[in-house]
Amino acid sequence: MAIACPRCNTQNPDTNAFCQACGTPLASFIAQPAAPPMGPPPGLAPPVVGPPPSAPPPGAPPPPPQYQSPYYAPAPGYAQPPVHRTPWVLIVSAVVGLVVIMAGAGTAYAFLNNRNSNPSGSSDLLPSPSPAGSPSPVASATATPASGGTASNATFSVTVPAGWVISSKDSTTIALTDANGNAVAITSGTSNPPQTAQQNKDSLDKSLAAKAPDAHQCPNTKVTNGSVNGAPGIFWQMCFTLTSGSQSVQAAAPLFAGANADGSVFYGIVLLTLASNKDNFIAEAAPVLASIKWGLH
Amino acid sequence: MRCDHCAQDAPDGVFCTRCGAHQGTTLESGKAKSREHRYAAHPSEHVAQPSVFTTLFPHLGHNKIHEFRWAFIAGLAGVLLLYVAGLITAAILVSAFLVPVLYLIYLYEAQVYRDEPAIVLGFTIGGGVVVGIVVTLFERVIYNPFQYFPSPFGGAGISVGGVLILGLLIPVIQEALKPIPAFFLPNRADFPETVDGLVFGVAAGLGFSVAETLIGFSNTLANLPPHVAPGTWIYDLATLAIFQPLLQGSATGMIVATIWRFRRGRLGGREIGGVAMAVIAHVAFSTGTVLMKDAGINPLFVLVWQAVVVGALLIYIRYLLHYSLLEEAAHMGFAETVCPNCHMHIVASGFCPNCGMALSAAPTSVRRGRRPRAEPAAAKKT
Repeated sequence: MAIACPRCNTQNPDTNAFCQACGTPLASFIAQPAAPPMGPPPGLAPPVVGPPPSAPPPGAPPPPPQYQSPYYAPAPGYAQPPVHRTPWVLIVSAVVGLVVIMAGAGTAYAFLNNRNSNPSGSSDLLPSPSPAGSPSPVASATATPASGGTASNATFSVTVPAGWVISSKDSTTIALTDANGNAVAITSGTSNPPQTAQQNKDSLDKSLAAKAPDAHQCPNTKVTNGSVNGAPGIFWQMCFTLTSGSQSVQAAAPLFAGANADGSVFYGIVLLTLASNKDNFIAEAAPVLASIKWGLH
Repeated sequence: MRCDHCAQDAPDGVFCTRCGAHQGTTLESGKAKSREHRYAAHPSEHVAQPSVFTTLFPHLGHNKIHEFRWAFIAGLAGVLLLYVAGLITAAILVSAFLVPVLYLIYLYEAQVYRDEPAIVLGFTIGGGVVVGIVVTLFERVIYNPFQYFPSPFGGAGISVGGVLILGLLIPVIQEALKPIPAFFLPNRADFPETVDGLVFGVAAGLGFSVAETLIGFSNTLANLPPHVAPGTWIYDLATLAIFQPLLQGSATGMIVATIWRFRRGRLGGREIGGVAMAVIAHVAFSTGTVLMKDAGINPLFVLVWQAVVVGALLIYIRYLLHYSLLEEAAHMGFAETVCPNCHMHIVASGFCPNCGMALSAAPTSVRRGRRPRAEPAAAKKT
């Protein structure tokens, strides 16, 4: 027969003296006789016990409670259930095992994915500076047709193709986003003190390195010189892990950093997309880049 | 002896076994009744000590805590080794699983789930994983990291839209949904103590954390080369291995513990403050992280901020749990038992008379091994 706990209503076997859920004494235990008091465990000082109590005279204040040992000596043969179940070796082994298994699985997974993503090893044929050396964007036949909308600020203007939106805009920078969330940021302004294209490139590299744990030049790409619609500068491509909130993606950023002849004007372009989508997005963004009209020279 | 505070007869000891009050202390060392200098789950610590293991693993005894600490340190050393070796994919996986696996071992060690491991683990860790998958996929739909990526032109640039989504909207949604699996635990009536609610909430939060990391980092895990230059990955790995799981576990643990208190009719200011604290801490953690990253601040300061927020959350949990244990352990009957903290063979009801540990936070095996003893008053009469 099960006994319901008077406190939490848990059903307990009738052999239980305490509720197995909350520890409350059960009804079957209440009438149980008291166990004899025990002394302290070995190694502890024995309690100081006074003379045996005598009955107090009527009207006298109640006597102070006698010493009651808080300890007991386990009865011979009684096996106390173990306090702990898991040996420390097992705990540490589980964690070391986790590290080894995950290290093996993670590395194997990365190897397999890496092999699958570069089956022909043809990435060395990528059009490295593609957003790209002056005329190439214009020549792209697969480009998204422009809607005719234009975004402009004090330093340049750019055509916004159909399906793209202006995600941010200020006096020197305009950022556009396509329907898939890929972004193009364009900037131009005056430099004081004057900066060369190489110095502008170094600033961009430093800025990316501060925002990503592993920013590096994309494999099989080169740094080249060229121009975008008359603005001379440097093309290169950076790959990095973009972690934002709980999301982390492998991103690629084809970049252009330029300066006019005396370094008083800077030009910059960043394309931002998934690393796996880099070449497609370079082609998609080509008409946008081709439509840039720089206002400062 | 007669307790200084509850005036009931109790075996002689440093602590009253009925109410947990510290006997004979002076105000200099703290209030004897509330004994905040002796945290009820681990009396060797002050309640305000931001210790991870004695807060989120409350059933572990004194020695066992050290073993779990060493295991955690061993796991972190593994992450560090993988980082130095450039095996970042592997390091991310170890980071994602480290704290949840330790917690699984803890649940086994303490047998918090008693006789129903499948139901309890399914509704806490399993439910947390399911909620984590759903919420992280939803986050992916509403948040495009490229759109909110701060412009690399001109260094620091803060995206207000990104901060609002990542720092406010997502944390509030997460904290609203994460406790759901533990809330609907079918056999919750068998686990009436607040400490049970805390542990179930932490388990659900850690399940969520695993799913959040695996889904959120799926693109990186799939595309990162097997071996890369370590770079500054160590900062992200520290967040993934330490602070994110601790935040997710602590915040959900506190909310579920509050729900447990509410079910017992004990919803007071401390409990309502606990829910507010969990949400505020999560918002502060996320907002601070996004702002500092966007502003290009040294990532070490981001980690310091995350540690401060998690530490504050842990301290609040300890206060909530401490007072819950003082209140809820008082009902326990007298028995011969072994204190899981000091390992003494004691005659006790709710608290160890020797070290003051609340025995309602003892592992299940210890609670089941209690051998009944008559009340001290009854013993006197016989």
